[in-house]
Formats: sequence, structure tokens, C-alpha cells
Amino acid sequence: MSEILVDVKHLKKYFHISKNQILKAVDDISFTIEKGKTLGLVGESGCGKTTVGRTILRLYKPDGGKVIFKNQDIYALGKKGYRELTKQMQMIFQDPYASLNPRKTVGAIVGEGLDIHKLYQSKEERAKRIKELLALVGLNHEHSNRFPHEFSGGQRQRIGIARALSVNPEFIVCDEAISALDVSIQAQIINLLMKLQRELNLTYLFIAHDLSVVRYISDDVAVMYLGKIVEKSSSGELFKKPLHPYTKGLMAAVPLPDPINEKKRIHSILSGEVPSPINPPNGCRFYKRCQYRRDICLEKTPQLADTGNQHLVACHMVHAEQW
Amino acid sequence: MSERILNIENLKVSFDTYAGEVEAVRGVSFHVNKGETLAIVGESGCGKSITVQSIMKLVPMPPGRLKEGTIEYLSTDITAYSDKKMQHLRGKEMSMIFQDPMTSLNPTMRIGQQILEGVKKHTGLKKKEAEEQIIRLLTDVGIPNPDKNMLRYPHMFSGGMRQRVMIAIALACNPKILFADEPTTALDVTTQAQILELMNALKEKFGTSIVLITHDLGIVARMADRVAVMYAGKIVETGSAHDIFYTPKHPYTFGLLKSLPSMDLSKETKLEIIPGTPASLINPPKGCSFADRCKYAMNVCNRLEPPENEISQGHAGSCWLLDERAPKVDLIKGEIL
Repeated sequence: MSEILVDVKHLKKYFHISKNQILKAVDDISFTIEKGKTLGLVGESGCGKTTVGRTILRLYKPDGGKVIFKNQDIYALGKKGYRELTKQMQMIFQDPYASLNPRKTVGAIVGEGLDIHKLYQSKEERAKRIKELLALVGLNHEHSNRFPHEFSGGQRQRIGIARALSVNPEFIVCDEAISALDVSIQAQIINLLMKLQRELNLTYLFIAHDLSVVRYISDDVAVMYLGKIVEKSSSGELFKKPLHPYTKGLMAAVPLPDPINEKKRIHSILSGEVPSPINPPNGCRFYKRCQYRRDICLEKTPQLADTGNQHLVACHMVHAEQW
Repeated sequence: MSERILNIENLKVSFDTYAGEVEAVRGVSFHVNKGETLAIVGESGCGKSITVQSIMKLVPMPPGRLKEGTIEYLSTDITAYSDKKMQHLRGKEMSMIFQDPMTSLNPTMRIGQQILEGVKKHTGLKKKEAEEQIIRLLTDVGIPNPDKNMLRYPHMFSGGMRQRVMIAIALACNPKILFADEPTTALDVTTQAQILELMNALKEKFGTSIVLITHDLGIVARMADRVAVMYAGKIVETGSAHDIFYTPKHPYTFGLLKSLPSMDLSKETKLEIIPGTPASLINPPKGCSFADRCKYAMNVCNRLEPPENEISQGHAGSCWLLDERAPKVDLIKGEIL
């Protein structure tokens, strides 16, 4: 078996909104990502997927749990150790318009990481490295003197990728990295991310809500609902045989570019909306929207358990059928 | 033949900016039949929103400018209608749902009041009757407890519920045509499925025609009877949903469809891409605007704009490859035969 790069154990992140209100954005989540692989994290807005990504990078302080990255607990690291860590973990953001400083040139944006970590000996070396990085993401080196507003959305996302790559990271969190882009540009960026993964042996946590993109890019996929992972399996297995009622509903809701079948299919299996994660109820969090609910679902919180084939599901009814 | 609600001929809209004239819409023609859904697909900046907004005369002029073209609504030319005359049409005959339900409702007004505004203006119902009408509308769009909810403010609703309120406002006076500009882009997939279902149900119930603007080809497949594909301010291909998805003839349409990661594509196969970025609309290219991204581009493509060629009944494309003198191309294999 290959090396595990990121090991997330019982991660919790709560936001205290007021005296009696706790927003449990991430509530006891565990998963691992192997080196060189991609884990897709899907779910509706407000399910906590972005919080997971940010907490793993230590941008948020967790309320419990551990993240083991290359055999070290990242929350136990001191200031110096954390600085080293930021060289190994990077992030690509959703909005290529908001995530680049409009007053800095592309060269300065991409070079900032190099400056912070002093990754060059001379000015020439710095310029050379920036040139290499821009070439790597398919931009021209002449672009380094321009400002972000001179670029299109897809090009800006390439700049964001070059910035993330500048410090030679091993692990990148892509937080909805392509959802703000147009269809034809999305394909370009997906291909770029996959090419970089092959060439640089990168590991991705790919957070997205577009299921067909996640299926394509990920090796494993985890589905989140209200701060918990409800199902996790290899990408092929999950999309062929979704088990959790929420995953099924989510997949049915995605419209596919095939008019004959689309007009026949039933899309809205799921009624209602994601309830508020503030003071969530006991038991299964999906209870209110689930068509298979039973009394046990209100009493006991279902735990992720293997149904065979490394296909983990947190649902009482699925396990009742199996056993 | 079914009744034509809307007929657009050669619409051209430009914006005068410091950088020069931006030709946002460059000669668009299409029509909408009664009770059908026409989807306008294209990437951002291709002019799809401006096309629809200029039909409703919601484009501020200046800086916008209607250069050419005619807009016919129920065989009446409304191109030169004044603002006052348009007010009788907007809301009553044609209405619009916007993309962002968070910002397109008035945050300081109760939602009942916001729906009432249009009803009062166009129907002259008494207060009591109007209120009943609002409750009926809110029930139609699936908002629970309408008598209580009509007194609440937009911030008290979720995104999906706000979009339902928007639809209620748009349908308040039974318009004949509904423009929906990316109505579900800001929503989650499960909410999106609910809203699309609602739009289809209301279309059946009231016989409203829908012009749906979107960039999501999945939504197009789900909703549309006919499709118009726009690129750089022009319609490059138009046809039934069946024609566009199963026998696309324009390389751009084909490229768009191919660039989606379909559900059976494995990780080892690379996604097909359309290289480059869309053409600038300031000084757009002289020939075909897609030519520099097209792998089949010929000499003529850079020099002359392709005319519209009819492929079959109701299916037409603007591409030189469709000319009878052009070499035959197999889009699927990517070969010139």
C-alpha cells in the first residue's frame, strides 16, 4: 500500500455564535489521503466542506481531533514548524477575481511565496523560477509584469495555481477551484491540474459541488452533510452504486447533457433544504429529508461503517439491509 | 404551426466605453413559440444576458445603444416603445427572473408587498382580492404557510425560497413570456432540481413560454425544447434540443459538449478542450469569431463571416464547414474526410 500523506482523525470545528448557539461546521470527521491521489469532497453549500479544507491547513484552530501530515501532528507544531508546513501545503481558491491582489503584478504574486521562504540565492534565480512557474501553468513569461485585471478568469486561475506551486508543495487544497469558470475553460484547468499531479506527484483535496467533475478528477470521494461524512468510497464505486439516501438524492439532482433521458428522469428525490447546522439534533442529521427514516435514526447517530470494498456509509437502514 | 410570441430580427446592441465600442450583441435573430422553452446557451460575455435585457429594455441607454434590429411581440413592433409604454408590458406580458435571489429582492420590503406591487399596477384588484391572489401565488410556487410568510422579509428566507418568491413576482400577472437569466446558478443542485421542476410545472399550468439563459448544458437538456448557442455576440447554432445534443454541426457546440466530463469517462482519458479564450468584442474579428479557436479553420473563416446555413428543418448553423464547397469533416473523429 502506498504512503498516507494526510491523516485526518476525528476533526471538529465549532463556531460559537452566541451564548447558547454552537455551529458545528465540522463534527468528528476522519479520512486519509494517499500520496499522489485526489480525494473529492462534495456536498451542498453550508455542509462544512470549505471549513474542512481550511482547518486541515491550520487556517482555523480545530475544536478537537488531529491532522497528521507526513507523520507530524500539524496542530502541535510551533511557529517555525508551521512556517515550514506552509511550504508543503497550499491552497487554490474559488474566486480568481477576489483571490489575487489587484495592486500587485503577476510576478510579485507568484514570487511572494519565494520571498517569504527565501527560496532563491539571487535576483536572477527568482526571475527564472517565476518564468518556469508561469510556463508550467501555460502562461507566457512576459505576463509577469502585468496586473491581474489584464487577465481572463481562466488565466487568473492559472496565476493562482502558479502561486500555490511556487513553494513546491506536496499537498494542495482546491476549494471550488473551477466552479467560477466557464465550461470550455473548466476543461482546460481540470486538464492542467491533472497534468501537474502526474508530473509533480501532487496530492489534492478537491472540494467541489459539481459531481461529474469530482467523479472525473478524484480517486476517492467523500460526501458531506451538515458537518459529517455520510459516505466515502472509491470514485468509481460511489458513482456506480451510491448507498446513502443523501448521495442518491444528490446524484439524481444533477442534470446531464442528454435530453432524451433527462426529460424522463426524476430529479428531485430530496425535498426541503439543508437545515441549519446551529445546534443540530441528535441522531441522523439527514432524518428530516430522508424517505427511509425509522425511529432508530432519531435515537442513535449512525457511524461510518464499511459495507465491503472500502465503501463506508453512515446510515442505519443501509446497514440493516446488509446484515 | 404554433403561435409566435416573440420575434427578434438582426438585433445589434453596443456599449460605448472609453476603450471603444463594445459590440455585445452582433445581429441576433430568433423567435419564441407559445408554450415552449427556448434555451440560450453560451459562456460568460457572449451577450446572452444583454440580448434578453434589451428585449425587456432593461439595458441602460447610454452607455448601451440599440444599433439595429426589430423586436416584435405578438406581431407588434415594440422596438421603439417608450419607457412608459414598456411599463405596460413588463410584468404583465413579459417578466424576468434574475440570477441572484439574494440581491434582486428589496431587503426592506415584506415579500407580500413586493409581489403586490406588480399585481396592483397591472390588474387594479381590490386589496382583499389582491391578497388572496398573493396567497394563491405563494402556494403555487411551494412556499408553506403563505398567509404568515407573506409578511416576512427576504433575509428570513433561504436562497431557494427567495428564488421561489422571485418566480411568484414574475408570474403574478400571468405573463405570456418569462425570461429566466441563470435562475439556478446561485443555488445548490438539490434546490436547483426543485426550482427547475417548479418552472416546468408552472409552464404546463399557465402555458407560459420560457426563455432560459444558462451555461449549464445539463439544465438545457432537462428544460429546453429548442436551443440557441451563442458565441461572441452571435447565435452560431440553433435547433431542437435533440439536434443540438445528438447531431451538433458547429465546432463550438461540439467542443462545448465534448469538454464536459461525462459520467463514463475514466481518469486516464484527457478532457477535450477548446483552446484559447473567447474573442474580444471590442473590434471583433472580421471573419468568423470562433476561427482562432477552431481546429478546422480555413482561409475563408478569417476573412468572411459565415452565413446561416440550414441543416434540416429548424436546425441551422453559421459555419463555413456547412457550405457545400467546404471539405466534409467528421467532428467526432476530428478528421477531414
